[in-house]
Amino acid sequence: MCECCTTKKDIYLPQLATIEKMRLMNDTEMYFRFNMDDGPMDFIPGQFVEVSVAGVGEAPFTISSSPTQKDGIEMVVRRIGNVSKALHNLKTGDKIGIRGPLGEGVYPVEEVKGKDIVFICGGIGLVPQRSFINYVLDNRDDYGHVTILLGTKCHNQRFFQSELEQWTTRDDIHFLETIDEAHDCWNGNVGVVTTLLPKIESELASSEIMVCGPPIMYKFVLMALAEDNVPHDQIYLNLERKMKCGVGKCGHCQINNYYACVDGPVFKYSDLGIAPEAI
Amino acid sequence: MTVKKITKADFTDLIEKVIASQKVYAPQAKGDKYDFAPLTSAGDMKLDYDVTLQPPKKYFIPPVETLLTFEVGGGYQSQFDEEKFVLLGVHPYDMVAINQIDKLFSDGHFDNHYMNRRTNATIIALDVVNASKNVFASEIGTATVKQGYDLLLTDIGDAYIAEAATEKGAALLAGANAADATDDDLAKKQKVQSDNELSLSKHLLKCPASDLPKLLEKAYDHPVWEEQAETCFACGSCNQVCPTCYCFNVQDDVNWDMKTGERKRAWDGCMLDGFTKCAPDHEFRKNRADRFRHRLFRKGKYVPYKLGGEIACVGCGRCVGACLPDIANPVNVYNRLFDDLGNG
Amino acid sequence: MSKPRVAIFDFACCEGCQLQIVNLEEELLNLIDVVDVVEWREAMSEQSHEYDIAIIEGSITREEDAKRLEIIRSRAKILIALGACATMGGVNKLKNNFDLNEVKECVYGDDASMPHLDTAMTKGVDEVVEVDAMIHGCPIDRKEFTYIIRSLLMGKKPEIPEWPVCVECKAKGNPCLWEYDQVCLGPVIRAGCDARCPSNGFRCFGCRGYVDNPNINAAKDVIDKYGLTVEDLKEKMILFGSTKGPTNE
Repeated sequence: MCECCTTKKDIYLPQLATIEKMRLMNDTEMYFRFNMDDGPMDFIPGQFVEVSVAGVGEAPFTISSSPTQKDGIEMVVRRIGNVSKALHNLKTGDKIGIRGPLGEGVYPVEEVKGKDIVFICGGIGLVPQRSFINYVLDNRDDYGHVTILLGTKCHNQRFFQSELEQWTTRDDIHFLETIDEAHDCWNGNVGVVTTLLPKIESELASSEIMVCGPPIMYKFVLMALAEDNVPHDQIYLNLERKMKCGVGKCGHCQINNYYACVDGPVFKYSDLGIAPEAI
Repeated sequence: MTVKKITKADFTDLIEKVIASQKVYAPQAKGDKYDFAPLTSAGDMKLDYDVTLQPPKKYFIPPVETLLTFEVGGGYQSQFDEEKFVLLGVHPYDMVAINQIDKLFSDGHFDNHYMNRRTNATIIALDVVNASKNVFASEIGTATVKQGYDLLLTDIGDAYIAEAATEKGAALLAGANAADATDDDLAKKQKVQSDNELSLSKHLLKCPASDLPKLLEKAYDHPVWEEQAETCFACGSCNQVCPTCYCFNVQDDVNWDMKTGERKRAWDGCMLDGFTKCAPDHEFRKNRADRFRHRLFRKGKYVPYKLGGEIACVGCGRCVGACLPDIANPVNVYNRLFDDLGNG
Repeated sequence: MSKPRVAIFDFACCEGCQLQIVNLEEELLNLIDVVDVVEWREAMSEQSHEYDIAIIEGSITREEDAKRLEIIRSRAKILIALGACATMGGVNKLKNNFDLNEVKECVYGDDASMPHLDTAMTKGVDEVVEVDAMIHGCPIDRKEFTYIIRSLLMGKKPEIPEWPVCVECKAKGNPCLWEYDQVCLGPVIRAGCDARCPSNGFRCFGCRGYVDNPNINAAKDVIDKYGLTVEDLKEKMILFGSTKGPTNE
């Protein structure tokens, strides 16, 4: 093989990792913690990895743990496709293949230091946001007022419940939660996540807003933020698509000019002005 | 670099010699059309071909290729093709397309599966002798090419002018019975090229190709996308014959031992149903019209953005001929947009 | 872990798809290394009521066949429809275009009224029971068959193309057969056969069934362009494209 090809690593070659912990969080979501066999992996909140189950395939999952957590990397896998189903069927100690960390569009961990932050999370959108949330909590003095809004469809789909309870009791953050569908077992807020916006204590227009949720959510969140005149360069959208190769080649995750896998998955809204497919 | 004149008979002899030591792919007859195929006898090469059914891209990105082998529950091993080969008779527009994919596959994340094949190849480009019925390379500026090849052939009637652009090309040419090209020969070569720069234009683009990104900026919500896609089969024929399309899918398959297997990549197409489908049955570009627009935006705006403005349609005209409902012609769509929006 | 038990059953068909399995030759030995074949009339004499995977070849044309199929379904964890007759009724569905009594008289003459020759409207397997995987084609493609079986054994859903035959046909560098006056059904028929017929100069007959989302407007536009009528096109589509129900009721 030619010199330039032998000296550069194969961008499609996964590295082995070992599953350290698995826990079913509700009917469909499985929590994983894994360690890279060749030593720790550095990453920035918002980055994702391509996870391989050899013989089944490869699929992208955003890292859910904060880089401040040194004990393994966490992710949450919803049981829907071939790879996620195969992951659910693995057990502690099994090997998986990992490519990453991937994505150059990451959460603005440095840029928003000293500023008020509002996290708007819809359902499984909590998973990627949690990486940045826990990073902020581990460096609490570096950031201003922190608000976390979480909307979940049904009460029995909630996950990371003990962590959510801790957030509720902390007095240095403001955590608000709602569920879409009322239920006897739930005595908190009911309604979609945007119904929490009027309840926040910080000034929305001067906050940095991090948004992640199902595709349908973005339009409504952006409409609500427009009512409060939040400047577009203070809004960060985590846009996940079908990131098949993860390295900007295969074309599946393209959003107009951008590739979600390399230009994102986190985008500043003001940069997306000419990308109507984003929302 | 070296420029030689070589008679057609001597060139055939040279290729016969090359076949003995290396795999050679060249345009050959396929029914009443042409396609690149492995050459077993130099007499089978058709260097006066108009256009091939498939672009030569397939020698760098095969329709299906093995990226890795793996053990179930264990490790992964990269796989590379080691074979060196000669790709003979690449028209300038196809050479431009290869140059573009070289850049896209080596910038940033370096694709060494592609680049390895690229390095293993010796490319002999060839100025067009006969224009195909749908070529519009003159309109895009791809009727001639200045780089990317190892050797460039120009048919001046009784002989080829062969310009070696690399050491590989010069070495190949050194094996031939050839004379130094005279000023007269060079003038003839120049004439062929300047003629092609005007005459490979069976479809006329109403604006300079370099204006396309700006034109498309205004065209996102134009009715032409819905109108054209009304009769689109979403069959991806336009993608499949395009020299600049490079989207792919990746799939695992196990061997019968159920313990080892291969990860393969295969051509995909942005026009196809399911291309943007995410697991929970959410498809981001579900409408055919959105996909039709995406293809022409990729060629005229998105990929040019990555290529420093270079248009990612090279004017080969293959999609025009491959589209059964006759809607794929980029020139027709871009002209329609220019008529409606060009001066706005 | 014990090997999955597989049973292969045939209904109304030519048994050509089973023959494709037999024709796997060396690969057949690989297959029986990873599964236990417990019933397969065409290749062995043993029978069993206990199986994990049932492979069904053929269409369902009689009441008693429907009942037999339901029993098989109740015993199998995974049920696979094998070949065009099973996946969509296949050529047998041509029958549905005619009056059933006429059909019987045409085939059996004076014996048409004998009870054991009774026949009903042809149905694909999925019109009678739930199907877990379809292996399309007339006959099936051996490569696709083995890929689907291996995928299911790995516990994954095989990726069957949602797109038309043109994709594979163009990738192989075939010229379009419409240019050679053949009414090829490739643009609306599901790929996965590696464009076997067009690659050998024959139009696509449609044996893998329509894609999920065929564009009828495009088809109308193309037949106009080539000076054909809707009837011309229907005539080409009838072999594998007969409707699910009777057309004369």
